[in-house]
Amino acid sequence: MEWISILNYPVYLAIFVCIYGCLAIGLNIQWGYAGLFNAGVAGFFAIGAYTSAILTTPHAEGRIGGFDLPVPAGIVGAMLLAALIAWPIGRICLRFRSDYLAIVTIGVAEGIRLVARSEEWLTNSARGISGIPRPFGDLPYAQAQLAYLGITAAILLVVYLLVERQAVSPWGRMMRAIRDNEDAARAMGKDVPHRRLEAFVLGSATMGLAGALYVHLARTITPDAIDPMLVTFLVWIMVILGGSGNNRGVLLGAVIVWVIWSMSEIVTDQLPAEFALKAKYGRMFLIGLLLQVVLRFRPQGLLPEALRKTPRDGNRRRAAEDRTAPAAGKIED
Amino acid sequence: MNRKLMGLAFALLGTSALAGPALADVNIGLLAGITGGAAAMAPEITRSYQFAVDQVNEQGGLLNGQKLVGVSADDGCSPQVAADAATKLVNVSGVIGVVGPWCSGALLAAANSATIPAGVLLISPAATSPEITTLKDNDLVFRTIPSDEYQGQALARTLLERGTKKVAVSFINNDYGKGIAEAFKKEYEAKGGEIAGYEAHEENKSSYRSDLANLAQGGADTLVLLDYGDTSGLTVLREAIENGFFKNFVGAEGMKTSAPIKAIGAENLTTFMASAPISSKSEALEIFNKAFSGIGGDINASYVAPSYDAVFLMALAIEKAGGDKSKLSQSLRAVSNGKGEPIMPGEWKKAKELIDAGKEIDYKGASGDVDFDANGDVPGSYALFKVAGDDYAIVTEMK
Repeated sequence: MEWISILNYPVYLAIFVCIYGCLAIGLNIQWGYAGLFNAGVAGFFAIGAYTSAILTTPHAEGRIGGFDLPVPAGIVGAMLLAALIAWPIGRICLRFRSDYLAIVTIGVAEGIRLVARSEEWLTNSARGISGIPRPFGDLPYAQAQLAYLGITAAILLVVYLLVERQAVSPWGRMMRAIRDNEDAARAMGKDVPHRRLEAFVLGSATMGLAGALYVHLARTITPDAIDPMLVTFLVWIMVILGGSGNNRGVLLGAVIVWVIWSMSEIVTDQLPAEFALKAKYGRMFLIGLLLQVVLRFRPQGLLPEALRKTPRDGNRRRAAEDRTAPAAGKIED
Repeated sequence: MNRKLMGLAFALLGTSALAGPALADVNIGLLAGITGGAAAMAPEITRSYQFAVDQVNEQGGLLNGQKLVGVSADDGCSPQVAADAATKLVNVSGVIGVVGPWCSGALLAAANSATIPAGVLLISPAATSPEITTLKDNDLVFRTIPSDEYQGQALARTLLERGTKKVAVSFINNDYGKGIAEAFKKEYEAKGGEIAGYEAHEENKSSYRSDLANLAQGGADTLVLLDYGDTSGLTVLREAIENGFFKNFVGAEGMKTSAPIKAIGAENLTTFMASAPISSKSEALEIFNKAFSGIGGDINASYVAPSYDAVFLMALAIEKAGGDKSKLSQSLRAVSNGKGEPIMPGEWKKAKELIDAGKEIDYKGASGDVDFDANGDVPGSYALFKVAGDDYAIVTEMK
């Protein structure tokens, strides 16, 4: 075995962490900054994945497209379409508050999944789309993976820097103000529905990007890849565990959750055969347990949101106090 | 600088190679849907995997007495989980071949992202999507289970032969149901049958009466139900019988489980038939059934015979290739191409001696002859079953 191939598994793990990192940052824009409870991550992931698949595959009988475009065009198209679909959904659904929004977005994601499963002309339904190109996919195994890691890591870095820039700008401060005290922000003359829609569309486009990155890695997309368990809820755990509102936190969450999830199987395989089989179910349990422990002992996440000039701990507590006795003083931070 | 690093890496590699035992065990990956949608089938299939591994080891092992080690991993019936598991098997466990996954979407992802680039042979005992036939696989992906395409076609021809000229088709909306339904429809219409209603239904709904009412409007009195008998297929069948939407019912192998007989009763299922792959009533199957039930296995469980064959064929291919990964797919074709001394399930010792003596062998699998075509698929042999008492009995073989 060539020495470089020893790296194959860590590299694959890292590619997946980058893809989940994109999803987590997308959710962080929505939940961490704007307080939007989007439980339909899988839906936007699916839109991105299928869009890029349709744009970049060669022509196929019986379904739309196969436009044979280059991969970057597919990725850009994925982000655009995810944003475009998020816009009307946001217009309708963002009127709902927190938990109602969660219910509506679950419904939307489920709708998207059923469309992907059923509409033959669009997604080739249950059989899915195969033969999707991967940049540098013709290189030998290890080199192809390293090249793809380079691409995903570079994209993730760009996304991270842009979102960080956005978060420290007046826009970011305003989003936090809307999140923590909507009435006060409105009183300050902020266009709350419009701003929430901005955050929703931006976050959804980032999720679409993650879908595109996934599809060019796997080179195939079938409806069972948009399982809410693996796409929506795992991402939520990453965000909550890492620290919502902090991009470095959610990236740390992505690393921890995916590495534990993937590598725990290597550990459980050392057990005797009869336990090793049962232990496969233990992986999900382990992630759930981790979430419980973090929520119990560190509810703000491992790397909590860092706010400037915090005289007392717990801006969240202050925000809660604001809600009972509105004092608009801190809105401009 | 770079050269120094390379030198260091090679030095490390050298020491690790020296440290390794001369007769390392041979690892193969056993991907199984232990969690996820196919979990109900897991206990018997993993037992069947392990049974084949044990037989090989009990009868002298591989090559120069090395042990065959099956490293089991979970494919979760999900593309992400399967690709992750396959990457671990190939790179961490160092397997030279993989048996599984069971679900077609999972197989496509695992093969594309790990086994094909790594040049590792993959044999699936249960993934039936026609999409796998056309996969660009460098001749590294094989199946011991026929594609849905074959079964759908065979079912269509058999129904027409038996004089059923008009049917309604209801199928579960996933790759399995859709794959069979499409192949059935194409063949049935091409041979002059009429499809009076063709609809997918979602799994795990509490009632399918409205779907059934729609289908019944077409005026067919036979319902072709392509679903799983343990879950939604059972509900559809029960509601169709209760409400008298149809008179006759025909299912595929997913419906041929004990659940309908237990839940609905044999006396109500006199007009119910199901097609399923049969192993051509072969001597090989009898040998396998006897041996497998001898260790407490359930011979009527789905996919146990193809699973056993997949592992046994993998072992034969490794033996034939002398443990050389790059020759595995070529060797796999060589050990089961219809030419040479027949080898029955469990005859590992005989096979090994013949291979070592340089003779041609031909494995006769429990699930059929498993002679692979150019795409790595096997043609299926099927029969139509009816309910007889607590079990199923063959009505006719399907061509």
